[in-house]
Amino acid sequence: MRGRSALLGLVVLACLPVHGRAQTPAAARLEGMWSDPPVTPDGLFCFFACTDAGLARLNALLDNPANDARPFQELQGEAKRFERESLRDLLTPAARQRYPLDPADDPGFLKCEPWGLVRQIFAPHQLEIRQRGTTLELRYGEWDGRRTIHFDGREPGPTPTAMGHSLGRWEGEALVIESSGIAANLIMLPDLQAMGEHSPQMRIVERYTRSKDGAVLHMTAMLTDPQTFREPVVYKKIWRWAPEQHIAPYDACEPPTEFKKAVQR
Amino acid sequence: MNGLRAAAVALPILVLSAAETIAHHAFSPVYDEKRVITVAGVVTEFRFVNPHVMMFMDVTDDSGKVEKWAVEFAGRLNLSEFGWTAESIKPGEKVTVTGNPTHTSSPRMFFRKIVRADGTELLPGNAQRLDTIEELRRQRRKSSQQQ
Repeated sequence: MRGRSALLGLVVLACLPVHGRAQTPAAARLEGMWSDPPVTPDGLFCFFACTDAGLARLNALLDNPANDARPFQELQGEAKRFERESLRDLLTPAARQRYPLDPADDPGFLKCEPWGLVRQIFAPHQLEIRQRGTTLELRYGEWDGRRTIHFDGREPGPTPTAMGHSLGRWEGEALVIESSGIAANLIMLPDLQAMGEHSPQMRIVERYTRSKDGAVLHMTAMLTDPQTFREPVVYKKIWRWAPEQHIAPYDACEPPTEFKKAVQR
Repeated sequence: MNGLRAAAVALPILVLSAAETIAHHAFSPVYDEKRVITVAGVVTEFRFVNPHVMMFMDVTDDSGKVEKWAVEFAGRLNLSEFGWTAESIKPGEKVTVTGNPTHTSSPRMFFRKIVRADGTELLPGNAQRLDTIEELRRQRRKSSQQQ
């Protein structure tokens, strides 16, 4: 009887379209533990997230022999400033009025409030991808944040939530996740040094691919939010295959006992 | 001095990069990135936790008065990338810590370097990453000069 049930299950699974399944050979290629990027200029620059414009600026600075004596950290800082200014220019007038957020007003800092999806997906450190029945679970070391990726096309609930509603599909070996129903929260532009706010109209399309040698996971994320950006913005991020890592408890956050507002950097 | 406390010292300004942002929030509201101090003392506790690893130490001044200091690190999720464990620093160890002070100069700092009694050093992970990048750049320059 058990054998017949298992056989029936296999037949049902085989009949499902590829876009409706979490468990595919491609999923197996992504499954496991990832963590901080390889130690390369691109890896460090995209530690949280980066843009093509920022990467191009960094590489132009690195390729210029006149900069050979300047430390990488200085060149990275210059490219990051350029990247932040480029992102600021893409903000709507309303979003620009509230930019940048004073880091002392970050509820993650003030109240130990876990990040929403738009920050969580760019969190540094561990990312664990696991198949859970018909879904995928993405678990992050930062905040021990977790999200479930559904493959059955279900509709989001009526109320936006911090981690939103995520639907997955496979395009060849790429995992594509479309997220909506995300409650208004903070957005990194593109890191914690420069933050703004996004609206519940935010939609994200993430695309995950593993490098041919298996060592690196690449993600591009298109962020669309007409209340925040004048046009869609694309962030990139990189993780390193890190089976030696594990996600430790995130249970000792304490609100600050002292802090200063409006610190000029 | 009892050898246990050093005054604030002028060291090169350490500029934070994005990779050094301390785990779940920005650094600037609490710590002054433009100043660096060095304090010596005896470790009383090392908490290897998230979101911030914490070390507590007793610092004795010239008069023999003991002051409790707290040293904040990046999170366990960050330091574990570099092989740190709950045993990396033990209570009773004599250490000299260099770090960024708070804006209010309270007895608290953000870790930049620890020197143990035997002279060995503990450094933030990002310092190791930057060393690797500079070596990559040196090799690249060398190879382009040879072509």
